[in-house]
Amino acid sequence: MPPTALFVLRRVAQLVPVVLMIAALNFVLLHLAPGDAADVLAGQAGHATPEFVEELRREFGLDRPLHARFFIFVGKVLALDLGRSPIQQTTVAKLILERLPATLLLMLSAILVATVLGVLLGVVAAVRHNKWADRLISVAALVAYATPMFWLGLMLIVLFSVYLDVLPSGGMAKIGSGYTGAAYALDVLQHLVLPAATLALFYVAIYTRLTRSSILEVYRLDFIRTARAKGLPERSVARHALRNALLPVVSLAGVQLGHLLGGSVLVETVFAWPGLGRLLFDALMQRDVNLLLGILFVSSVVVILVNLLVDLLYARLDPRIVYK
Amino acid sequence: MIKRELAGLMVALAVLLAAVAGTEAGEPKRGGTLTYTLHPEPTALSTIATTAIPVATIASKIYESLLEYEGPFLTPRPGLAESWSVSPDHTVYTFKLQRGVKWHDGTPFTSGDVKISIEKVVKPYHSRGAAYFGQLERVETPDPLTVVFRLKQPVPYFLKAFQPTESPILPKHVLDKLDLSDAKSVRQSELMQKPIGTGPFRLQEWKRGSHIILERNPTYWKPGRPYLDRIVLRVIPDGAARAIALENGEVDLVPMSSVPPAEIARLAALGHVARSDKGTEGLGPIMWLEINLRKAPLSDVRVRRAISLALDRKKITNVIWFGQGKPATSPIVSGGQYHDKSLKPFEHDPGKANALLDEAGYRRGPAGVRFKLVQNYQPYGESWVRQAEFIKQELGKIGIEVETQSLDFGAWLKRIFTDWDYEFTANSSHNYADPSIGVQRVFHSGNIKRGASYTNSMGYTNKRADELFDQAAVETDGAKRERLFAEIQQILREELPVVPLMELDWIQLWNKRVHGLITNGISIYTGWDSVWVE
Repeated sequence: MPPTALFVLRRVAQLVPVVLMIAALNFVLLHLAPGDAADVLAGQAGHATPEFVEELRREFGLDRPLHARFFIFVGKVLALDLGRSPIQQTTVAKLILERLPATLLLMLSAILVATVLGVLLGVVAAVRHNKWADRLISVAALVAYATPMFWLGLMLIVLFSVYLDVLPSGGMAKIGSGYTGAAYALDVLQHLVLPAATLALFYVAIYTRLTRSSILEVYRLDFIRTARAKGLPERSVARHALRNALLPVVSLAGVQLGHLLGGSVLVETVFAWPGLGRLLFDALMQRDVNLLLGILFVSSVVVILVNLLVDLLYARLDPRIVYK
Repeated sequence: MIKRELAGLMVALAVLLAAVAGTEAGEPKRGGTLTYTLHPEPTALSTIATTAIPVATIASKIYESLLEYEGPFLTPRPGLAESWSVSPDHTVYTFKLQRGVKWHDGTPFTSGDVKISIEKVVKPYHSRGAAYFGQLERVETPDPLTVVFRLKQPVPYFLKAFQPTESPILPKHVLDKLDLSDAKSVRQSELMQKPIGTGPFRLQEWKRGSHIILERNPTYWKPGRPYLDRIVLRVIPDGAARAIALENGEVDLVPMSSVPPAEIARLAALGHVARSDKGTEGLGPIMWLEINLRKAPLSDVRVRRAISLALDRKKITNVIWFGQGKPATSPIVSGGQYHDKSLKPFEHDPGKANALLDEAGYRRGPAGVRFKLVQNYQPYGESWVRQAEFIKQELGKIGIEVETQSLDFGAWLKRIFTDWDYEFTANSSHNYADPSIGVQRVFHSGNIKRGASYTNSMGYTNKRADELFDQAAVETDGAKRERLFAEIQQILREELPVVPLMELDWIQLWNKRVHGLITNGISIYTGWDSVWVE
């Protein structure tokens, strides 16, 4: 078996204990928070007898001792059964699958825009090193990085949705429009612009700075001098340089892909985007432990798999790296 | 000749003007969509699962009950029952049901639906079921259009029970398939998510995280109703984004103060937005400082009086809550029938407060501090945080050093109502349609129950108050009942187990193209069958 295939197999095998460990840790952490789903549900009802609350606890399986619940949970995880959300009254799997496409769409769009734009700007800044273009881009990147996503999102809504009235203020699609096919795609695209832009801006800043410094560093390396000495046209030299310089960007993009899965709560909240980030936050507020554990489980699996993919991609891009 | 023609022309003109005026002023128009937004997203479409505000708001369009109500005091009017009679001893209520009512799936509605809904579902599983139907002995159904309720003792507020959120009538042909003795089987049943009601609207689509669409019930029993084709709930988690949606017309209605108080003031000033604090008198929202009477020095009534004297309720109302309410004088809201009008506003007098604390022996220490207290607050948003800061500031002036503790909803509920691990907390609750429902549960010593939220977390015990509450719960003479509640309010004013602060308004904001919204004291919790849009 080729060494790379063995490497992949080994990593996939490692997935199981790592994910289990993460799940166990999440379970313990979540149960440290005071108050449980029965408390929250009863509280929202505005009035509840202790019998009512106890009944809810029994319904949710919260009356069993913690260690018993833990073992039931581990058993379910191993069987890939994410259980049921008693508060939302559907299976956790269904809830996650419902929201996953929206999150993926938002996330992938944002990463795409961020990497393309970030790399472009980074290259311009590096090439025009220390000239006004570089300074402008660097400062803009800093501002973009420092701007709170939440505020930025709201400002974009005010500008584009209230004053200019060219884009919708939130949601993923026009409700009850009955659009299908191209019309639907266009509608979603319209709704996607502002949240993706908000999310992307932060990462554009990161990729710009990273690309810029990476390129500058690569250009200082010996092999560039060798290539020039060999007489290669500057365009070829640039191609080699870029390929090397992009390695850290690929790494980072991969890491952030996994990170974005649950981390876009702010953008999803401001834009009412029906994704996993918001679901996670709501589940936490409601102490919906099953749902929380389910989302975190899916998230940890995705992060680990994406990391594996990134490592493999990295090996493809960088012949110096060999997996054994 | 000319005169007759002229007269004819005048008449025609008058008729024309009247017609135009009619449409301008409010001839209901059939058709259209009403879009509203409310946070958080409902978790179910029936108040049997939970009576949280978002659920109550939407479920009341799908389900109905025997009565409808008029005015702020909820005067009963025919609903699914076209008429009713009460026995002289107030223990037998006979309802005659409307003819020709159908469930959303076409099955005819009968008295059997009422019997099973009230006896087997509402009474045991609704969070206020015991409060309304605790005295219910049984329900009889002598024929398909007659329902008889037999009570063990009179319940003076019994007719107020038949609100669509409090006693929704559910379909027997669906309930028969469930194990009604098991709470889980009821609350987790598909009926909670895919409702079948008799109401003016039925569920068309629910996309979680995004929206719920209700469509007109084509076989609704009221002729010509509802006017609206659809009601849409848009899920918008952020308060500022909800405000923007109302402003740019994407949403027509934001009920129940679902935008931050500062936004309410700004939005109400826009030309196309209407604002009202009416429509929720039947809920009776009230806010107070709940005090853990088990902890010294709060166990000393003089300390509680001093705290009350130190707080300027006018400032709290006008500055922190943007004037969206009024200072409270009693735990029973001033809009309620049994509010004691003789109660004077609470005094604001820090000088008196200082004197009281000195006299009670809590002298100021070296840093001017008499003692320390920890405060909590209901974590419902920014204004609660501001209020806590204000309270800390004002109590600091009379030598009480306050530390503010910040918890999220789940944690706060547990600390206050299960662990009783608090000193004082800002809290809000509803009186509901009658003090025996919403007020008794806070002040009756029988309601000191660990783990039961919005009950007597203070540990307040007053034998006389208990007696009065018990008597009022079965007293059918209106005047006598008023006297009983008046005495209760005097006691609560004297003893201050809670320090009433303010009657918080629930504010409704809507686009002026919406009409017919405010009809009674539970307007947001009604079917909206008479609401129309331009």
